[in-house]
Amino acid sequence: MSVEFDVRVKMAVYGLFAETGRRPAPEEVASRAGLDSAQVLAAYKDLRAQRLLLLEPDGRTIRMAPPFSGVPTQHRVEVDGIEYFANCAWDALGIPAALRMPGRVRSRCEESGAPLVLEVGRQGPEASAWRFHCLVPAARWWDDLVFT
Amino acid sequence: MLFFRSEERVRAWCAARGAPVRPLVTMDQLWRMAVTWYSTRLEGESRRPRVDEMRAVFAGIGLEGDFWDPTADSFG
Repeated sequence: MSVEFDVRVKMAVYGLFAETGRRPAPEEVASRAGLDSAQVLAAYKDLRAQRLLLLEPDGRTIRMAPPFSGVPTQHRVEVDGIEYFANCAWDALGIPAALRMPGRVRSRCEESGAPLVLEVGRQGPEASAWRFHCLVPAARWWDDLVFT
Repeated sequence: MLFFRSEERVRAWCAARGAPVRPLVTMDQLWRMAVTWYSTRLEGESRRPRVDEMRAVFAGIGLEGDFWDPTADSFG
């Protein structure tokens, strides 16, 4: 697949995620990118190799287009009236960063279950004593990205 | 990659699972990571940071050592 097609598909996937908060079907991506579904699925493989996309085992359904999650998670982010799901705590801040707009992160303390509500402005989050913790070292993040 | 209310909560969670306590990251550090990875993600020519760029970003916000090295094969 050509680099040009890969970029068109990437822009379509991310644009549709940004506009709707949900994962687009290959047919929606094809329509937005001006390609056919077979071309979209071929580009998906390239984007996976570039670590810009993670697919479900069927090879056509988007699980992750980081920072966006294709499935509901405990990390919810509201930006400009649209609710998004983030893949992890890092991506929860990544959504306002990607959209370049203020947002509100809702998540929880993994140990106590205490709710987290974090306001994120254009320059970053409000002052907070909360912490981010990751068990998996950086070199292994993509070995099992869902677990990470 | 999870949120915790405090360092004490991280330690309790790890102890309950026999898991190691990894380096803790503040919300300000996490924002810097988020901006570096994602602020251009909706642009056509964006890409993930290269390995050397990742190391520089982590080091720039005080996250150093094998845990943060994208190529390390041992973790202290």
